[in-house]
Amino acid sequence: MNEFTRSESGLHVPKKKVTRRSVLAAMGGAATVPMLYGCGVGTGGGGGEEGSANGAGEVTGSFDWKALQGESIKILQTPHPYQQAFQPLLKEFTELTGIEVQADLVAEADYFTKLNTELAGKTGAHDVFMTGAYFIWQYGPPGWMEDLTPWIENSAATNPDYDFEDIYEGLRTSTRWDFEKGSELGTGGQWAIPWGFETNVVAYNKKEFDARGIALPDTFDDFIQLATDLTDRSQNRYGVAFRGSKSWATIHPGFMTQFTREGAKDYTAEGTTYTAAMNSEKAVDFTKKWVDLARNAGPTSWTTYDYPQCTGDLGNGNAMMVYDADSATYPKQKAGASAQAGNLAWYPGPAGPDGSYATNLWTWSLAMNAASKKKQAAWMFIQWATGKDAMNKATASTFADPVRASVFDGSFKQTLGGFPGYLETFEKVIDSTKIQFTPQTKFFETTEDWAVALQDIYSGADAKSRLDELAEANTTKINA
Amino acid sequence: MPAWRRRLRPYLLSVPAVLLIIGILYAFFYGVYYTVLDYAATNPSPQFVGLDNYRSVLGDQLFWRSAGTTLLYAVAATGLETVLGVAIALLLNRSTLIGKTFERLLILPLMIAPVIAGVIWKLMFNPQFGVLNHVLGLGSTFDWLSKDRALASTILVDVWIYTPFVAILVLAGIRSLPKEPFEASDVDGASWFYMFRRLMLPMMWPYILVAVIFRFMDCLKVFDAVYVLTAGGPGVTTTTLQIGAFEDSITNLNYSRGSTYMFLLWIIVFITARYLVSVLGKAQRRAAGSGA
Repeated sequence: MNEFTRSESGLHVPKKKVTRRSVLAAMGGAATVPMLYGCGVGTGGGGGEEGSANGAGEVTGSFDWKALQGESIKILQTPHPYQQAFQPLLKEFTELTGIEVQADLVAEADYFTKLNTELAGKTGAHDVFMTGAYFIWQYGPPGWMEDLTPWIENSAATNPDYDFEDIYEGLRTSTRWDFEKGSELGTGGQWAIPWGFETNVVAYNKKEFDARGIALPDTFDDFIQLATDLTDRSQNRYGVAFRGSKSWATIHPGFMTQFTREGAKDYTAEGTTYTAAMNSEKAVDFTKKWVDLARNAGPTSWTTYDYPQCTGDLGNGNAMMVYDADSATYPKQKAGASAQAGNLAWYPGPAGPDGSYATNLWTWSLAMNAASKKKQAAWMFIQWATGKDAMNKATASTFADPVRASVFDGSFKQTLGGFPGYLETFEKVIDSTKIQFTPQTKFFETTEDWAVALQDIYSGADAKSRLDELAEANTTKINA
Repeated sequence: MPAWRRRLRPYLLSVPAVLLIIGILYAFFYGVYYTVLDYAATNPSPQFVGLDNYRSVLGDQLFWRSAGTTLLYAVAATGLETVLGVAIALLLNRSTLIGKTFERLLILPLMIAPVIAGVIWKLMFNPQFGVLNHVLGLGSTFDWLSKDRALASTILVDVWIYTPFVAILVLAGIRSLPKEPFEASDVDGASWFYMFRRLMLPMMWPYILVAVIFRFMDCLKVFDAVYVLTAGGPGVTTTTLQIGAFEDSITNLNYSRGSTYMFLLWIIVFITARYLVSVLGKAQRRAAGSGA
């Protein structure tokens, strides 16, 4: 990657008489200057040079956990059940390797802002970071992430028991891409190692359902009817919570899952040209229903709802159902974690007209900062955290869902006794669970625009014309 | 002390300020430099593109809508804060125990970071469990952050945070006014309202204008509380210029376009500041009795 250096030609400011008043006036403008500069990052930080050595090839001999004793690394994480499950285990990693780990936490609402800024700055301040698969599409092309394939394939750098293939294939595929337009996921480098993952399904208040003798709806229309019937605003109770905030994250869980089940697609590809398809007949029909569902049976302040509000309302008993990540609702069932703990259950949600249980996938993964100065130590941590031993121990806490088949089938299944329907739901959708989005480097911009369109429709805009406008804009952006 | 050291001292004392100015100007001109490049995460080898970014931003409907939203926010918030701030200052301009206690409590909102204030108000606005709907008897169907109410709600939060700032500034001004004109008017039997309109307000005007300048310029740059409350939504209802710049730079990683957004905002703030400062100068001269 080319270093971005400042032009040598000086900037000349014409002399003028300076008065106290002009200084005061200028101060008003100067107050915005730091923000102006804040727009530009990556102004020549260290590391991340063109063709910076991967480092994996320099590790030779036989694998040794103690090879880097005395080293220290910094990892960037967001507070999350996965992170909380691993936090007590970090000292075990230090005992195993002699490598000290400093974990820095940033709340999820601000996590990716912090991460974007840091990676663009190429300071290498953190050696390892948590990331979602979609972020690979944005962080990969500028060279901010390390390709982990050479590390995985080097037996001197990777412990012989690592067993990379034990990680579900769909997850390994979701974290690989060659960044070429039109390419499927699963091509190119391994940019991150899946750590925990989520299928997007429905959690519901089983106690309430059983008391009323409610059968779980199989079709989306029945689901809408049930959610509407369950809504009683006078009792501060509503049918179903799902995300609605102005964020790309509104699209990926329940919306994208049901959108796909109903037979709609985000883009169609012809070679390297994409055409936005969120204004197709199926897409418009589904979007209308989804927004009406939000209006009639969703949270009143839907346009501000992220997953903590959704799961909070389920746990408090305000929401009868939540259509979101299984692992987001999972902690609410733990004894003492919420008012409705012990009353919740899971089911896959409504099938599509053709019986489809296509489900969108989210995986929190661990990635290596390309600007890291301690890549071998970073890889030691990643392989430990995504390895069998640590993951087996983490499942004793609230670590759902583990990415390894051996861990899922072993220790994790044993924790699911008090989670009615969780395992059955997982087994029902797992084979059709994958990233349902078309991989593309403008994902966040175009997907946030999609969320904005949903909010506009919710606020009264005509669904067809608004989605036409969105599709036209996104087609232009994605092919630019 | 040797003469050379005495001569050197003022220069040494000014070094930190000079370094600060150099630091600010360096960052500023670097930001301006970005505006003529096509620098983005997806394009780490930027090229000179002239005024393309300006054409792109100024031709974008969202920019003008954001500018309108920002201006409306600034005018409404500054206006409300000024009226309420002056009213509170007048109420507190009495040496009662209640007044003194209230004066100390008044400063509390200013001690909370705007982003935290945003989080607190977001919780209070929540229709399911927020305290506002409960206390006001609005039930669970009144949405403070709906498309029709979001901008007003964000302005309400701004008013809650910053009205004390205006009140404290104006109160300090009131307490520095000379007593003689008021005593003379009182002897002549002038009413309180007459004294306020003819004496107090003209003399207070410079203090009020200082508060207006600070608040108006701050409102033009509003970001944190609004972003926490609505992220600029629903749709783009509360998208201000700062939020637009943030989305371009940080969400979309298009640094040049984000810098252009910010540079245009800087121009707006700079022109506004110069105008308001010239108005302040006139007001000060008028209050000092040196004509309009």
